[in-house]
Amino acid sequence: MQRKIDTAQVRLILLRLAVVAVMALLIGRLWQLQMVQGEEYRILADRNRFREMDVTAPRGVIYDRNGEILAQNEPSFTVMVVPADLPEPPEGSKEDPAGAVLDRLMALLAITDPLAGSPTPTPTAQPTATAPAKKDPAKQEDPESLFAIHEREPWIMPRDEIETAIKKGYIGGAYRPIRIARYIKDYQAFAINEDLVNLPGIQLVLEPIRDYPTGNLTAHLLGYMGHIPEGQLEDYEANGYRRDEQVGLTGLEYSREEQLRGAPSRQTIEVDVNGRRVRTVGEESKAVPGLNLYLSLDMDLQRAATEALQEALDNSSGFTKAMEGVVVALDPRTGAIRALVSLPAYDNNLFTKGITDEAWQALTTDPNLPLFNRSIGGQYPPGSTFKILVASGGLQDGVINTRTLLGDGFDGRNDGIISLPNEYFPWDRTKDQPFYSWIHKYGHGHGLVAVRDALTVSDDIFFYQLGGGYREFRGLGPTEEGKYAKDFGLGELTGIELPGESSGLIPTPKWKRINYAENWLTGDTYNMSIGQGFVLSTPLQMASATAAIANRGHLYRPQLVEKITDADGNVVGKLEPDLIRDVSVDAANLDTVREGMYGAINWPQGTATKVKVSGVVIAGKTGTAEFFRDNNKDHQPDRDDKGNLPTHAWFTSFAPYVDPEIVVTVFVANGGEGSAVAAPIATKVLEAYFHGQGEQQAPPTTEPTEKVTAAP
Amino acid sequence: MRRALWKRFDWLLFALAMALSVFGVVMIASALSGNEVLAQWPWRQAAFLALGIALLLMAAAFDYQLLGSVAYLIYVVLLAALLVIWAFGTVSGGAQRWLAFGDFLLQPSELAKLGVIVALAHFLSTREARGRLDSILTPVVALMMLAPAVALIYLQPNLSTALSLLAIGGLMLMMAGMPVRHMVVLGLAVAAAAVPVWRLLLQDYMKDRILSFLNPTLVSTADRYNIDQAMISIGSGGWLGRGLFRGSQNQLHFLRVRHTDFIFSVTAEELGFIGAVALIVLFGLLLWRLTYIAGISQDTFGRLIVVGVTAMILFQFVVNIGMNLSLLPATGVPLPFVSYGGSSLWTMLIGIGLAESVAMRHRRFGFD
Repeated sequence: MQRKIDTAQVRLILLRLAVVAVMALLIGRLWQLQMVQGEEYRILADRNRFREMDVTAPRGVIYDRNGEILAQNEPSFTVMVVPADLPEPPEGSKEDPAGAVLDRLMALLAITDPLAGSPTPTPTAQPTATAPAKKDPAKQEDPESLFAIHEREPWIMPRDEIETAIKKGYIGGAYRPIRIARYIKDYQAFAINEDLVNLPGIQLVLEPIRDYPTGNLTAHLLGYMGHIPEGQLEDYEANGYRRDEQVGLTGLEYSREEQLRGAPSRQTIEVDVNGRRVRTVGEESKAVPGLNLYLSLDMDLQRAATEALQEALDNSSGFTKAMEGVVVALDPRTGAIRALVSLPAYDNNLFTKGITDEAWQALTTDPNLPLFNRSIGGQYPPGSTFKILVASGGLQDGVINTRTLLGDGFDGRNDGIISLPNEYFPWDRTKDQPFYSWIHKYGHGHGLVAVRDALTVSDDIFFYQLGGGYREFRGLGPTEEGKYAKDFGLGELTGIELPGESSGLIPTPKWKRINYAENWLTGDTYNMSIGQGFVLSTPLQMASATAAIANRGHLYRPQLVEKITDADGNVVGKLEPDLIRDVSVDAANLDTVREGMYGAINWPQGTATKVKVSGVVIAGKTGTAEFFRDNNKDHQPDRDDKGNLPTHAWFTSFAPYVDPEIVVTVFVANGGEGSAVAAPIATKVLEAYFHGQGEQQAPPTTEPTEKVTAAP
Repeated sequence: MRRALWKRFDWLLFALAMALSVFGVVMIASALSGNEVLAQWPWRQAAFLALGIALLLMAAAFDYQLLGSVAYLIYVVLLAALLVIWAFGTVSGGAQRWLAFGDFLLQPSELAKLGVIVALAHFLSTREARGRLDSILTPVVALMMLAPAVALIYLQPNLSTALSLLAIGGLMLMMAGMPVRHMVVLGLAVAAAAVPVWRLLLQDYMKDRILSFLNPTLVSTADRYNIDQAMISIGSGGWLGRGLFRGSQNQLHFLRVRHTDFIFSVTAEELGFIGAVALIVLFGLLLWRLTYIAGISQDTFGRLIVVGVTAMILFQFVVNIGMNLSLLPATGVPLPFVSYGGSSLWTMLIGIGLAESVAMRHRRFGFD
């Protein structure tokens, strides 16, 4: 008996030891979790309860200088699902309440508009061409239905993808909303909103899409927005972008992306297990809306320029129908762009509101390249407009003075032809190379002229000689000529803040040796001197160079943004003229060139005497640049029935002659004669600039006079 | 006589049980704060506690030695009750465990533990009196006695309570003085039974829980959610905790079944290491006090009753906190005295009452 009790007592002691051991184990584990790993778990707990919410910033609005809206944000509804908020089935039951919620949502998304009576397109269905919706008349709708802007079609994630995404969400971040439908119709959004109580886990949010009221008119300038290109995802993410964000892809939307986007912020909120906001952590952090841009662009001028150019293209009767053209208008005092038209254009709304594959295909395969902004990217021989630069250089270098006579007649025949002896057989006159002046076809030449008259009549012979020399007269030479052309900004990027600019080409003898393995000939200098041959310029470069002559020597970087305001209207940035350089030509010499350009329009023998705007003195220079093409693939340059090469039409001008405030440069590819085709367009643009509707409509103020009469 | 009896009432044991129970009510209040549907439940628990104290005192007043004669009867009645539930019980949460009285669900399987304790204590004490403890038949018969109760509870299904019955029985056998060689044989038998039990008896959800415990990477985050959140709650508590009613895991409901299975996690999160250790130490003191009472019991029957109560509390204490700390697989074992639940609390308090009854009637000339 005693032994038994002893056994019992021993075992009780063992039990107590076991209790102590268990306590020690539990406390040890507790120490490990709370003391050793406490920090990690604290972080995990915070991750549970704190949620980063994206607070989106409205993108900046773009206006023209008069406040007309060029780009704005249009409301659009997005449906999101938060996986963690979906109802869970009771343990062990086969019910699928989350699936039921999705079914219900899908039914609502499938609602057809009772008014339209047509089935709502599903993601796979073709967008139904609904009755033409009310359109902003400013949107120049392409008559082809291919490019018609449909109302943005709803995008709905297929059901199985939704379920996969939700499953993934449960692991990755059950509280991160997943976008499952975008751009849904208003009536669908209303239906869903009304039924939200029955749709736990579903959220309806407003996400704006970009709208361009001026469409085609400004597409080349503004560009458009779209998804981040695949290859640049990481770069954008490193800069704080969400993967599904829309970004500016070209035009100002691209180059001003940072300012337009603003600063979307993130707000930390504390949430409960159901994702409901318990409180906002820290200060309410507001997203900073994007900055608003007021362009230097004048939409009235842009419209007038577009209409004039389009009209000219429509009526063109050149070599073949002209399809492409450019109008650049800028302020020579600052470099501010007033109009920048490149035709053909496209409607950038297509890109933000859903472009069909067919329309995309048509845009990208169009031989006239409507997506190409040729005002900054197109490189063309500048033709006679280039002469203003050659004249400036010749005067500055002292090769000529204002009274130096050159031109037809040295060979005794005023026939508009100059014969250049063959460099290797100068004694063999049969090997002479003839160079023609445009006036040759009228059977005579311009005779001997000084530089002003040479510019006025656009005497090719004068400039052949000025550039390349003739007999004992030593010309400027290709290197000096190129130096001055580059001084005026040719052959280099103007630095306009639009993507896709080309630098053009100012050739040098070395360049020719490298690219053609041939020596530079005097004939090359001759061609270069009248803006032919190898010289290439963008229309914007010619406009910029013209501005430098107009303002007597200042080459400014062309700029587009006149004023930047924040969301409250405070001006945070203004256009400051950005001087690239003062050209190395004295103002007095530039004045001589200006006088020649004055003559081209205002003297009877000028090449563009029809350019008239009442009350304004205009100066300008025409250009008709031959170019080579081989559309019929016979390995010979195409010529018309008279054997002429096709020509680009140029006209560059500034006004008023004294204290110029506007430069207008017009280029019509394959347009024909500069004086006949380009100059009339410039006239209309200048007319619109100086006598635009705005000034005409300004009502005479009668009020002050009444007050005066009322006074005793 | 009465007065003399109550003089020996073990106030320390009572105080420890009360401390744990009141602690439980407070933690339940914290766990359920902000929950409007269950806003009354902390008060309900307080009411259960009040009734439980009455039950404790009644059990203490009752001479446990009288239980011996009705021990088997009580056990048979309990088995019958389990049968009734098996036939007519209320289904909730996928298991048939409850008898509904209005909106109160009585869980007879909790009370069954007490029946098992009393019946086994009586059986083993009579075996000892006859000097048959050394016989291999003793554990075999004891297990056969346990078998119907374990089976009925297992079928509810309620694996954890069934296991706790086995644990109580096993510990009582050991403490009764079962020879070491029998323990070894029994241990081997259990090990041998493991494979057929796994194959034939365990249901899928039970296997899943055990597997997920053994290899956490096998299971999805969703399945591990409760355990993960418990770990986060405990770990984020630190030294002094986030403050009562201020634990983010608890108050924002990331932690599930907070007021029952994971009440320890709530404690560790809100009261920190200090609070959680205090809770563990309270249990340690209570268990130590129970073993002390077992030691001074005037007879084997009393000693084994107290040992049974000790085993019951110890098992649930270890399994529950072990689960909270991810040391043991997830089971629905409530933390004694602390977790919400009337049946559980009453079972514990009656158990303490039985121990008090033993303490009040211990050897007249004891060591103290």
